[in-house]
Amino acid sequence: MSEPVIRIQNLEKTFGDNTVLRDINLEVQRGEVVVVLGPSGSGKSTMLRCINRLEEPTSGHIWFEDVDVCDKHTNLNEVRSRLGMVFQSFNLFPNLTAKKNVMLAQRKVLKRSAEEAEKVAIARLEEVGLGERVDYKPAELSGGQQQRVAIARALAMDPHVMLFDEATSALDPELVRDVLGVMRRLAEGGMTMIVVTHEMGFARDVADRVVFMDGGLIVEEGTPDEVFDHPKSERTRDFLGHIT
Amino acid sequence: MVPMMRSMRSGSVSPLSSMKGTLKGAGLRLPLLLLLVTLLLCLLPVQAFGLTTERFTAKSNQDGADGVMGATNTRITWQGQSAEDESVKSVTLTLPEGSRLPADGVTVTVLEGLKRISVPANMVEDGTSVIVTFDEGAPAGSMIMLELNNAQFPPDGGTYSVVGTYTDMNGTTADIPDAGKTVTVIGTTVPEQMASWLAEQPWVQAWNSNKFLHLFFDPTIIVTTVPSVFWGWLLALGLVAISFPVAIPLGLCWSFLRMAKNRFARAIGSLYINVVRGTPLFLQIYIAFFGLPLLGIQMDNFVLGVVVLVMNSSAYLAEIFRAGIQSINKGQFEAARSLGMNGAQTMIHVIIPQTFRRVIPTMTSEFILMYKDTSLLAAVGVMEIMMYSKTITAATGNVTPYIVAACFYLIVTIPLTKAINYMEERLVGGHPKRRRQNNLPEKTPASLSGTVGAVAAEGSEAAVARSMRLSEGFSHGPQVIARDSLGAKMRGKDV
Repeated sequence: MSEPVIRIQNLEKTFGDNTVLRDINLEVQRGEVVVVLGPSGSGKSTMLRCINRLEEPTSGHIWFEDVDVCDKHTNLNEVRSRLGMVFQSFNLFPNLTAKKNVMLAQRKVLKRSAEEAEKVAIARLEEVGLGERVDYKPAELSGGQQQRVAIARALAMDPHVMLFDEATSALDPELVRDVLGVMRRLAEGGMTMIVVTHEMGFARDVADRVVFMDGGLIVEEGTPDEVFDHPKSERTRDFLGHIT
Repeated sequence: MVPMMRSMRSGSVSPLSSMKGTLKGAGLRLPLLLLLVTLLLCLLPVQAFGLTTERFTAKSNQDGADGVMGATNTRITWQGQSAEDESVKSVTLTLPEGSRLPADGVTVTVLEGLKRISVPANMVEDGTSVIVTFDEGAPAGSMIMLELNNAQFPPDGGTYSVVGTYTDMNGTTADIPDAGKTVTVIGTTVPEQMASWLAEQPWVQAWNSNKFLHLFFDPTIIVTTVPSVFWGWLLALGLVAISFPVAIPLGLCWSFLRMAKNRFARAIGSLYINVVRGTPLFLQIYIAFFGLPLLGIQMDNFVLGVVVLVMNSSAYLAEIFRAGIQSINKGQFEAARSLGMNGAQTMIHVIIPQTFRRVIPTMTSEFILMYKDTSLLAAVGVMEIMMYSKTITAATGNVTPYIVAACFYLIVTIPLTKAINYMEERLVGGHPKRRRQNNLPEKTPASLSGTVGAVAAEGSEAAVARSMRLSEGFSHGPQVIARDSLGAKMRGKDV
């Protein structure tokens, strides 16, 4: 393929004495769905959060499209508006309705008019199957619904890449399906996605590439078939064995 | 039988409505007439008149002073000298409109020379007049003294004279000439009249016979204190009504300084907050009220009071806001920033609205504190609740005004306290779905953390409100500062 959308080079991250990421190198092509797997504490989330600099990398470089995310002079807000992120704990604004949640950043960051933002918000909420719930407050929605609102909120910014940080980990099993469904459709629509998850089924079905991390390192990467069926590393085999 | 009445009055008497009609007739000639009468009185022998006023006085009915108050019981004493050749059958004394002259309060003394003689008489009251009729007439040349007990002058202050007529044994009625004798009456207000009315009531007297009840809950003092303390109450309300809304944005500014990335700004913020919270408001009031005038800064007491209250309260509010802002889940900052909102937008549109909802109970108690603290301004002469009640207590030696002051504080603070409780209950019980737990997923197995981790770490809002009140002390919680690399410390484990 052509130029990668995201290019991570020699990324390192330490918290005090604790090194969580060591020498991470990763490229993500446009339209590609990359699923990041690994045990807890392997650095998956930190890597994801470094991409939109919610976490400050200790060293290394991250390019997103044409900008160096790590550069001090980079307009982070502009970068972030093109990088959608979905959190494990949804992080909806509890004082706003679903629609207002989706509208807020459109109005403030993209400077869209109220009418346009509302139109987009309703359209996105309908896409995630919540057309009926636009005027509900987060507290009145189930976890799965809240997460779908969060996805709609990120999508409303017309991001070029979507980052999913264990988007289904906080959900009851029966609610996971709806959220995965939305993510699956998004992937089929050609969205570039980096997905940190524990959902092996999703990884196998949807991923173009699977990355397995452990101890702050990328241990293995390849197509789902390669990683799931013919893991090269002992560690990967061990991990997958436990999961499945 | 009512004797015809002609009115006269001394120059300074306030208009007496019943006599207005006749007065109008007299018009401008009245002073002239008065002058004439006075001249005549001086020139002619007293005996030329049948009955002349010798004395017209009233006993003081003012606590701790010697004035005569209107609309309050007093004893009026009138003495008339009858002519040597004329016995008096009856005497009619009339006080201005609004007076009270109860007939049963009249005692009659007749002196012949220095000897008191018994002259049976009966008394009839007629409006503001009392008619004393002697069964067999008062002997000629005698001194007639009427004591009008439980009489009252009109409530409006002024200088009053008595108008009288007499009837001789032949049935001829004549005026008692005005001898220029007047009583100066201090005006009384409705509460003062109520107080004097209450003072006469048997139950009030019984109540006040108990020393404790008298000292702390004297009804007569309550009725006079309430209206004057009311003005102090309005002033106190005015002080907080202006100060509090100003203190809120200022408090927000201090809290932002306190949490600023810049070390210098942070130092200024925390210095201000710690100095203000670490010194008594009383001291701050003294510094402001005595210091600023020395600097040549002259300000109205009220304005200065507002300034001190704003400066003081903003420091406390700053800590309330800081605690509130820091109690907001990091995820809220992260979500807002990940959408591309800048720091200011995140604060204004995401964090502050949520903070306000949470800190309303704590802010309300800060409001109550400020309202109560207005009392300290009494020390520097601001005419608020305490000042009024202190003045009255100083004058009466009674504690009741302070009890009244307490009530004026309570009518504001009790409803507000109730409101706080209500708000806290609502925060706890209002959103059952949002009962949150304060732990991050690494502690809970990912699959189980479902609804719990949902809006993790947001905590029960009421608990937050309560913990913030605890933070009123000097304990500054962990200084988690919202920086660009959000929550670096917190998220370290969740990798």
